Amino acid sequence: MALSGIQIYKLLPQTNCKECGFPTCLAFAMKLAAKQVELSACPYVSEESKAQLQESSAPPIRLITLKSDGYEIKAGNEVVMFRHEKTFYNKPGVFAKIKTSAAEADVKELAGRINDYRVNYVGIDLEVDGIAVEDDARNADKMQKTLSVIRSVSKKPVMLFSDNVASIEAGLSQLSGETPLIGCADSENWEKFAELAKQSKAALAVIADTLDGLAELSEKAKAKGVEDLVLVPKGKNLGHELILQSQIRRLALKANFRSLGYPTLAFCQTHAQIAQAIAKYAGFLVIDQFAEELVYPLLVLRQNIYTDPQKPIQVQPGLYEINNPQPTDPVLVTTNFSITYFSVANEVEGSGLPAYLLVADAEGMSVLTAWAAGKFDAERIAKAVKAANLDTRMSRKRLVLPGAVAVLSGEVEAELPGWEIRVGPREAVDIPKFYKQVLQVN
Amino acid sequence: MAEHKVTFNHQAEPVVVKSGTLITEAARLAGIEINQPCGGQGRCGRCVVQVIDGKVRQRSALRLSAEDISLGYCLACQSIIEGDISVIVPEQEKIERRLVTDRTAVEVEPPLGYSPEYHQSLKRYFLSFAEPNYEDQTDDLSRLQKQLRVELGFKDVEIPLSLVRKIGSALREGNWQVTVYLNVNGSNESEPHVCMVDVLPFHCESDSPMWGAAIDIGTTTVTLWLVDLWTGVVHAQVSEYNAQIRRGEDVISRIIYADKEGGLQELQQLVVGTINQLIELACKRVKHYPVQPEDILKLTVAGNTTMMHLFLGIPPSYIRLAPFIPTFNQAPFLRAREIGLSANPHAIVDCLPGVASYVGADITAGVLSAGLDDTQKLTLFLDVGTNGEMVLGSKEWLVTCACSAGPAFEGAGVRDGMRATSGAIEEVWIHSETYEPSYRVIGGGKPRGICGSGLISLLAEMFMTGVIDKAGNLNTQLSTSRIREGEHGMEYVVAWGEETQHGKDIVITRVDIDNLLRAKAAIYAGFLVLAQSVGVPLEETEQVLIGGSFGKYLNIEKSIQIGLLPDLPWEKFNFLGNTAVKGAYFALLSQENRERIREIASKMTYIELSADNTFYEAFMSAMFLPHTDMSRFPSVLGAFQTANKLSVQT
Amino acid sequence: MPVEVPKEKWPGSVRTITLGALPAEGGTRKRVVTVGGETAMPFMHFEGEIPYPPVVAIEIKDRKPDDWSPLLLETWRDVIDDPAQWAAAAEEAGADLIVLALSLTNRDGNPTTPEEAVASVKAVLAATGVPLIVFGPGQAEADNALLVAVSEATKGERLALGICEDKNYRTIVATAMANGHLVTARTPMDVNLAKQLNILISDMGLPLDRILMDPTTGALGYGIEYGFSVMERLRLAALQGDKMTQLPMIVTPGFEAWKAKESKVGEGVPKAWGDWLNRAINWETLTAMTLVESGADIVVLRHPESVRRVKAAIDELMAAKAFVS
Ligand code: SF4
Repeated sequence: MALSGIQIYKLLPQTNCKECGFPTCLAFAMKLAAKQVELSACPYVSEESKAQLQESSAPPIRLITLKSDGYEIKAGNEVVMFRHEKTFYNKPGVFAKIKTSAAEADVKELAGRINDYRVNYVGIDLEVDGIAVEDDARNADKMQKTLSVIRSVSKKPVMLFSDNVASIEAGLSQLSGETPLIGCADSENWEKFAELAKQSKAALAVIADTLDGLAELSEKAKAKGVEDLVLVPKGKNLGHELILQSQIRRLALKANFRSLGYPTLAFCQTHAQIAQAIAKYAGFLVIDQFAEELVYPLLVLRQNIYTDPQKPIQVQPGLYEINNPQPTDPVLVTTNFSITYFSVANEVEGSGLPAYLLVADAEGMSVLTAWAAGKFDAERIAKAVKAANLDTRMSRKRLVLPGAVAVLSGEVEAELPGWEIRVGPREAVDIPKFYKQVLQVN
Repeated sequence: MAEHKVTFNHQAEPVVVKSGTLITEAARLAGIEINQPCGGQGRCGRCVVQVIDGKVRQRSALRLSAEDISLGYCLACQSIIEGDISVIVPEQEKIERRLVTDRTAVEVEPPLGYSPEYHQSLKRYFLSFAEPNYEDQTDDLSRLQKQLRVELGFKDVEIPLSLVRKIGSALREGNWQVTVYLNVNGSNESEPHVCMVDVLPFHCESDSPMWGAAIDIGTTTVTLWLVDLWTGVVHAQVSEYNAQIRRGEDVISRIIYADKEGGLQELQQLVVGTINQLIELACKRVKHYPVQPEDILKLTVAGNTTMMHLFLGIPPSYIRLAPFIPTFNQAPFLRAREIGLSANPHAIVDCLPGVASYVGADITAGVLSAGLDDTQKLTLFLDVGTNGEMVLGSKEWLVTCACSAGPAFEGAGVRDGMRATSGAIEEVWIHSETYEPSYRVIGGGKPRGICGSGLISLLAEMFMTGVIDKAGNLNTQLSTSRIREGEHGMEYVVAWGEETQHGKDIVITRVDIDNLLRAKAAIYAGFLVLAQSVGVPLEETEQVLIGGSFGKYLNIEKSIQIGLLPDLPWEKFNFLGNTAVKGAYFALLSQENRERIREIASKMTYIELSADNTFYEAFMSAMFLPHTDMSRFPSVLGAFQTANKLSVQT
Repeated sequence: MPVEVPKEKWPGSVRTITLGALPAEGGTRKRVVTVGGETAMPFMHFEGEIPYPPVVAIEIKDRKPDDWSPLLLETWRDVIDDPAQWAAAAEEAGADLIVLALSLTNRDGNPTTPEEAVASVKAVLAATGVPLIVFGPGQAEADNALLVAVSEATKGERLALGICEDKNYRTIVATAMANGHLVTARTPMDVNLAKQLNILISDMGLPLDRILMDPTTGALGYGIEYGFSVMERLRLAALQGDKMTQLPMIVTPGFEAWKAKESKVGEGVPKAWGDWLNRAINWETLTAMTLVESGADIVVLRHPESVRRVKAAIDELMAAKAFVS
C-alpha cells in the first residue's frame, strides 16, 4: 500500500538538512509519495525505513515490455482503478490481426497498411503498435512464412497466437533478438508454452475463463521461470469480460494479489469491446479487422482516456483565424486549454462570424483556473498580442477578454496602449449574442 | 387561558398578555420598540433583553453565552411568556458587546520575564578609559578595542568607518567616559558576531530607554511599533497606508511597476518614506521621554516577500514568474543608512526571513506570534490580506500556502466597498420576510460604503434570507424593490440615496457577489488543500487563529455561514489582529525569538497551489454558499433550513 | 486456492426515476421507463444491484435541422419534415425514449411560438408510446416561454423538461413542479457544478427523484475524458452516500459526436480517417459506449445503427449478471 506524505515523513530523519534538494523533510516526503523523486536522494534514511519504503513502492502490476528492432510497447505499472485518482500510465498497445491462412500477397499488403498507418490528432501522430498473427491454418510453415513476409514490410512488435506450439516455435525463428508475446497458454498446453517462453525470452499470454484458472496458470508459469506474463480473461460475454477485467485490477491493487498482478489482453471484435477494453483496464488490444475508420477513433479514444487528468491537453498558443477575418475584426482572447479553445472556436465557427482567436499560453489551464493560478494575466495577454504582431497587423485594435476575467480589463488596458479592451461573455455560447449586441456585428 | 403581567424597564404599568405570548409581542403592546433586524427569527441576536424577575421558556438561545443566560438574558423574539415577568430592554450599544461571535484583537504587553541583559541582542556598556599620555601612545581605536576585548571578552568587534570617525571626539568630549551600544548576535557555543551601533560621549542612566522599532510592511498598510528595548514596553503603535499604493494596489502590479525604468528605485523610496514618516509620528507620540528618530538603534522588519524586495531595492521580477523563485528569503543584517531610514544611521536593520515567493516574513513572524511552532494542538493560522496566506500544523510540522483572494475583504474591487473606517457599513441584517436591511456604521453616522466585515455579513444575510441562491444569483422572483436590474446586471440596494453620505444608493452587484465568492472560495480551498496535502481532515483542527487587516473585528458566525471559515465551534477561533508586526516585535526583543523565526522559516513546507488541479477542484467546490459539500457545514445547513422552512430531503 | 475477490459494499445508491405516465397514472404512454437504482459501479453485478438497464433515447427535432450532418439528414430523409413521423421511425429503430429538441425558429425562419411547440410535442406523443424528453432551443428566454407552454399542455405526462442550467433553472423547475414533470439539469463537465445545480433545484422544492442530471460530455477527441471521469466521480460519490449526486445521469453523445468534424465532413479530410459514414457511426458508438461504461443511465443518440450497437452491448452487459451469481 502506498504511504501518505505524513507517513513517509515519520520515517525520515526530520532534520530539514536540505541535502536532498528540498527545503524540508516533509516536502521531500510529499514528493516521494507522489513518486516524483527517488528515495536515494536522501543520504540519511535508516536501513529500517528504507526497507519499509521500498516495500510500499513495489508496483502491484508488473511492467511488461514487448520489443522489436527500434520499438518498445509497455503495459502494466498501473496504480489506480479510476483515472481521476491519479492517471492511467501505459496506453494499451493496439495490435491488428493477420491470419496465417491469408495469401502471401494479402499478408504483405495488410502488414504494410498496418505498419504505415499514421493519423494526426491535435498535433500528435498516432499509430498502430504492432501485428498479432493468428495461426488459423495451424501450420508451422505458414507461420514462418507469414512472419518473414511481415518482417519484410514492418519492424513493429508482434504477437503470435496458436494452439500449436510448433507454429509458435517456427514464428519465433524469424524474431531473433525481439521480445514478442506468444500464446495463448491454457491449462492443457501451458507447460510447453512456458518452456518456449523461457527459452526465447518471449512474454507469455495465459488464458482462462475464471480468475482461479488465470491465477493457477500464472503461478505455474512463474514456477517454471517465466516472469513476463499477460493475462487473457476469457469472458462469456461483454459484461463478463468487464467484470473479470475489473476484478483482476482490483485484486492486484487493493489486495496486492501477486498471481494476478500482470497486465491483461483483450481480443476485440465489436465496437463495444474496443471502447470497454480501453476504458476498463486492458493492457493490450488485438483488433480483428484493420479498418481506418475504426482505428482512427480507437486511437483517439485511447489517447483521451490515457491523458493525465492533472495535465490537460494543450493547443499551440498563437493566433487562429476563424471565418476569414479582416484586420478590422475583433480579437478574442482565450487560453490554450484544449477544451476552452475548442468550445470558443466551435462557437465562433458555427456562428459564421469572423474573428481572430488569440490563444495565450496559460500552461494548458482553463480561463478561471489559469486566472486563479496567476497564469492568465494582463502581462501574458499583452505578450501574446505582441508575439502575434497584432499591433501592426490589425487596423482596428479591439481585444475581447473572457467574461470570467473581467477584473483584468484595467490592467490589460494599461499594458496595451492604443487598444480598445472589451469584456466578452463568460460562456462561449453567448459569443454570437455578444457580437450582435455589443460589437454590433451581424 | 392564563394571563400574565409583564413589566418593561421598571414601568409603573405592566401590560397583561396571554400565556404563550412572545416577549416581542408584549413589548409592542407596551409601546416599546425592540429591534429585530432578522425579522424575529432568532438569527441576529439583536433583540436581547434581560429578564430580571420571573421565568420564560426559550425556544432558542443561539448567540448567548452560558454566562449571559445565567444573568437572565434571552432573545425576545424566541422567549415565550408563561408567568409574570419583569424585563429590561438594554440599549443597543450594550447588546453588541454581549454578542459572543465577534472577535476583537487583543492588546499587547511585554512578554513575561523579559530581561534585556538576557534576551536582548542590543547591549549597552559603560566604558571608562585612562587618559592617554606620552608613555601610553595607544591610538583611540586600539584603546577602545582593547577595552572591549579585556573587559567584555569581544575579540572582533565590527566598527564601521563612520563610527571610527566619531570615536576620537566622543572619548574626549565624554572625558574618557563613553557609552557604547553593541549588537551581539549569536549563540553561546559559537563566537558571536559583534558590531558597534553607536558610541556616546557620556554614561547615560543605566535604566534609560534603548529605542527600537518593529515594522510590518503590508501591501496596503505599514505598521510600526516603537519599543523601549530596556523594558520591552511598546510606547507607540502607528500605521499608515503604504505610499506605494499609488503605483498599484496589489503585489503583482507593484512587481510590474518595479520592472519599469526607475520604478524599483521609486517604490523603494516610497516605502522608506512611509516608514520615516511613521518613525517621526511614533517619536512624537511617546509620552514622558523626548525621542528622536536617531535614537532608534535597532529595527526588525516583517513583510511579504515582494515588499521585502522592494524595501531593499532588490528587483522582485522573478517572484511572479514560474517557478516563483525570489532573489532572497533571508537578508543579511543591514544598517539604517544603507536603506535611507531616518533612524540612527548605524542602527541594525534586521529583515526577518520568509519561506517562498508568496509566503514571506509576515507569515513566519505571524507563526511566531501565534505560537504555532510551539503548540501540541493542530492549528490553522490564517492571515487575510490581498493574498490569503495560511499555515497548518503544530510543533511537529508546518505546511503553508498562499492563494490570491483578491482585495474584496479589504473593501476593494467591490463597487461600494471601502476600508474599515468611519462611514463604513460593518454589519448588516436582512429581514427574512420584507428583505429590508438594517445596518451598523462605523462611527455611527450616515454610510459611505461597505467594509470587509460588512461585506461578509451582507453576503451571509442575503444567503440566509434567500435574496441570493447558493450560487450567488439574485432571486428576481422576490417581491422587493431592492433587487433590481442595474448597470452591470442584477443588484441589491443596501441603502437608498437619502440615507447615505453622498446621496447615492449603496448597492451590491452580481459582479461584487462573484468577487466575494471567489475570495472566500480561494481561502477555504487553501485550507482544504493544506489539510489534504498532509492527509488530516480539516475538521480535526483544534484551533483557528486569524490575523490580518479586517479592521478591528471579524464576525466568526457569518464567516462560517458564507463558508469562508471552516464550521468549527466558535470558541476554537481567535482573532489576533496584526500578527506580523507582533512577531517582529517579539523578534526585536529577544534573540531566542529571532532564532525561532529562522527555524520556522526553515521548517515550513510550502505547498505550491498552481502545481496541479487539486486547488482548482477545491476552489470550484467552495464557489457555493456555504460549500458544495454541505456536510462540511452542518451548522449552516441547519440554520438555513430553519430560516427557509425547508425539510431535509431523504 | 480459490481467488477471493474483495467486494465493495457501498453505503449509498442511485435514486430510481420513472419517466412517462401510463393512462392510469394520468398520462398517455404505453410504456414507462425506469432508470437508476444502482448500488454498485456500472455492471458490477457481483457486488450490488443494477436493477434497470441504461436506456437509449433518439434525438429528433421539431423540423428539419439546419446544422446536422448530411449523413443524418439522409438517414432520416423520409421523416425529417414531420416530427410525428420522425418520432415513430425512432421508436421503430429501437428508441426507449424520444428526445424532442425544439428549434429556435420555425420552418419560415420566425421564432418558434409556444403554440407551435405544443403542437409538435402533442404530435410526437400521439405518434409514439414511449416517454418523451423535451429540450428547449437553448436560449434562456425562448426555453422558458416554450417549455412553460409545453409543460402546461401536457400536465401529468411525466415528461422530462430541459435544459436547466445554473443561470436559468427557476422557471423550468417551477413549471415542472406544477405540472408533474421532471427536469434535466445540465452542467459543463464538472463534479462540483453538477452537485451545485442539483442543490439549487432541490432548494426550490422539487423532489430529487424528479431530477435527471446531465453532466455533459465532450465527444471522442473533444474532451470525452472529462465527461468520462466526471461521470465516474459522480457515481462514486453517489454510492459513497452523497445525496446530491444520487441521480440518474443522462448524456448526449449523439449531439456531441455528430458535431465533430470527423462526423460532419466527408471531403478534404485525411485518408487515414477512412470511410465517412462508418467513421461517423463509429464516432458516435465509441463515444456512447465509453459513457455507458462510466455510469450513464440514458444516452441520447442520433443514428439508428449506433442505437442498435449500443443496445446490443447493454443487453450483454446486463446479461452478465447470470455469470456471477
Ligand atoms: S536529505 Fe533527508 S534529512 Fe535532509 S532534508 Fe532531505 S529528507 Fe530531510
